[in-house]
Amino acid sequence: MAEQSVLVIGGGISGLTAAIETAEAGYDVFIVERNPYLGGRVAQLNKYFPKLCPPVCGLELNFRRIKENARIKFFTLAEVTGISGSEGNYDVTVKVNPRYVNDKCVGCDACAQACPAERPNEFNFGMDKTKAAYLPFEQAFPFKYVIDANYCKGDCGKACKEACKYDAIDLDMKPETINLKVGAIVVATGWNLYDATKMDNLGFGKVKNVITNMMMERLAAPNGPTQGKILRPSDGKPAKNVAFVQCAGSRDENHLPYCSYICCMASLKQVTYLREQYPDSKAEIFYIDIRTPGRYEQFYWKVKDDANVKLTKGKVARITEDLETRDVIVEAEDVLTGKKIKRTFDMVVLATGMEPAAKQSNIPVISLTQDGFMVQSSQKGGIFAVGTVKSPVDVQRSVQDATGAAVKSIQTVRR
Amino acid sequence: MSERVINPDLKFVNEVVQAGGESMKKCFQCATCTVVCNVTPPDNPFPRKEMIQAQWGLKDELFKNPDIWLCHQCSDCTAYCPRGAKPGEVLGAIRKMTLQRYSKPSFLAKAVGDSKYLVFLLAVPVVIFLLILASLGHLSLSSIPRGEDGSIVYAHFIPVPYIDAVFIAAALFAAIVFVNGVLSYWKDMAGGGLTKWQKVHGGGFLGAISSTIGEIISHNRFRKCDLTNKRATSHLLVFYSFVGLAITTTVAIYYLYGLHWESPYPLTDPLKILANVSAIALLIGIGLVITNRLKNAEKAGVGSYYDWLFIGVVAAIVITGILSEVTRLANIAALAYPIYFIHLVSVFFLFAYAPFSKMAHMVYRTTAMVFSKLSGRE
Repeated sequence: MAEQSVLVIGGGISGLTAAIETAEAGYDVFIVERNPYLGGRVAQLNKYFPKLCPPVCGLELNFRRIKENARIKFFTLAEVTGISGSEGNYDVTVKVNPRYVNDKCVGCDACAQACPAERPNEFNFGMDKTKAAYLPFEQAFPFKYVIDANYCKGDCGKACKEACKYDAIDLDMKPETINLKVGAIVVATGWNLYDATKMDNLGFGKVKNVITNMMMERLAAPNGPTQGKILRPSDGKPAKNVAFVQCAGSRDENHLPYCSYICCMASLKQVTYLREQYPDSKAEIFYIDIRTPGRYEQFYWKVKDDANVKLTKGKVARITEDLETRDVIVEAEDVLTGKKIKRTFDMVVLATGMEPAAKQSNIPVISLTQDGFMVQSSQKGGIFAVGTVKSPVDVQRSVQDATGAAVKSIQTVRR
Repeated sequence: MSERVINPDLKFVNEVVQAGGESMKKCFQCATCTVVCNVTPPDNPFPRKEMIQAQWGLKDELFKNPDIWLCHQCSDCTAYCPRGAKPGEVLGAIRKMTLQRYSKPSFLAKAVGDSKYLVFLLAVPVVIFLLILASLGHLSLSSIPRGEDGSIVYAHFIPVPYIDAVFIAAALFAAIVFVNGVLSYWKDMAGGGLTKWQKVHGGGFLGAISSTIGEIISHNRFRKCDLTNKRATSHLLVFYSFVGLAITTTVAIYYLYGLHWESPYPLTDPLKILANVSAIALLIGIGLVITNRLKNAEKAGVGSYYDWLFIGVVAAIVITGILSEVTRLANIAALAYPIYFIHLVSVFFLFAYAPFSKMAHMVYRTTAMVFSKLSGRE
């Protein structure tokens, strides 16, 4: 008989959905998440499609469903290190890295206040710092602090521990190995942003006011490094004249040979952040062709009708910096007029593409394409790929896909 | 805006593909190429528009467009192209087709561009020189007269009048083909007549020519390339060594017919020094051309048969030229005469087929550069 539980690798919107749907149908589920929090990329967005609501509106509900359901167990700071067996009977080993904070944590912030060390905040893509004892973000679930041992060295840990009134800090925590027996496995490891420094002509990492689209999400988010103000990195000046560079890495055989699916919509959405925040702002989108699949087309029309938004057909292939003003100089050919143009902006947002995280995560048993995507048909029985692990997709499609995978997993364990 | 009907010439599209432009159909007109190109004028930049003209089979637009020669195949476009459409190589293929169109007879142009005719092209000089040697009875080494001190004298192997007759004929043929080709090319660029287009360049014809020559002798366009910027040096070496060898040949004619002084000349003679320095510069230059190409092959493309044939001929000329001299001085007849024979065959190849080979870029590119300056294109 098949094992009656399901493993979900990845606690982003896809993994959470698959786990909750499976558990609510009456099966035990384990979620293994690499980060110290659940929610994945969606948690980092300012607003997301289709309703353009902030991430709390979707994640909050999912977190409540997890809290209320005893069938769901989740491990954060965890990774799958071994999978053996076959459909219906998989043995899985999970390595859980130490959080150094136990369940007694109430999230009072005393440890962070006392903590002498700082760490770059990867949740905000390094645009600010947190203390080495930190809460990943305000609405983090689980609502527990974390101590980053890479940065909290020497007496740092002691200082944090002494500040905690609840005995929640345990500096002796060691990595643990957990063995799970499951009937089916859902792989929802999601995506990373392509490393924009690899595009040596687009200036990222060299020109300070060139940022990625995910950085723009954090800049616009109220819980971001600028409390939601769209300020450019070099001098904190409001960025009111912003260029969006489409296909920054995507559809390019030198980088990501596929379309990342979401970047056109992301840029159009981010134009609305800018236009709503500064009524006198201007945006220019440089594109090869605008890809707004299905009903998203209507959103495109809406943005296009704004007189302060300019759409220029022509891929940006060179970005440099005005060393005095730190303004960003963008070069493209306006294909419709056949003229090479050079325009200056306060800030430039690269619509950087999606790279499947599975490429780096080395999950055993799973086979990947050259680009790092999982192909469903080449997997062992009872292993299901969901969301961006398979192909670049948006939240809506990830969620639909996750529900489908939940049904598939249930079929497997009932066999 | 007036309506425009596009009549794609599908045969032409296939010809571009055959000529080495097979990657052109991958182009999706993103215009990365025009932005990374450092040598294009900013208005109506190349090579994006040429890529769509080639895809659509707009033959006339491409042929009358001097931009294809303003392109120096830096290959920055090819390196950054997101689709592997290799604009640099496509424009190279179109340049080759331009020669084939304007250098008549076209069967020779076809033959030079296609490896399967190489044997026939080589056979022409081989047969000519063999016939000369047979008529002189010089086919066996022992029957070739030596110099007074027993040294090897190439002028005794094949006397100068024979050499002159063959090479003057070859050069004259090439010159006639070039003049004819350039005139009809100019006519097409100018839009049907030689005088109908509007002259914009302030300096007029002479101004445009002198500014073109200035650009060629300084090679400043090559220096704008990013990926292949080392090519400025290698091409410059090859270019100036050809200039040196041309001067050598001219002075040698004066020595022979003006001063009645027959070769070989001593190594200390200024002419011989110039000749040897030029030969070594050419050897280094063509060596760099080859190594740079191989080094950049992954990003810039390996280049076509057509490119490599020209490089091969130049390499053959310089290597056999130097070896002819060395084996002559070392008095190794069994090597010297055959090497000299190959040298003559290679030089004939370069001269007689110049209007059809990559050598012709020298003439057509110069023409297009003059035209583009004169017409205000740049």
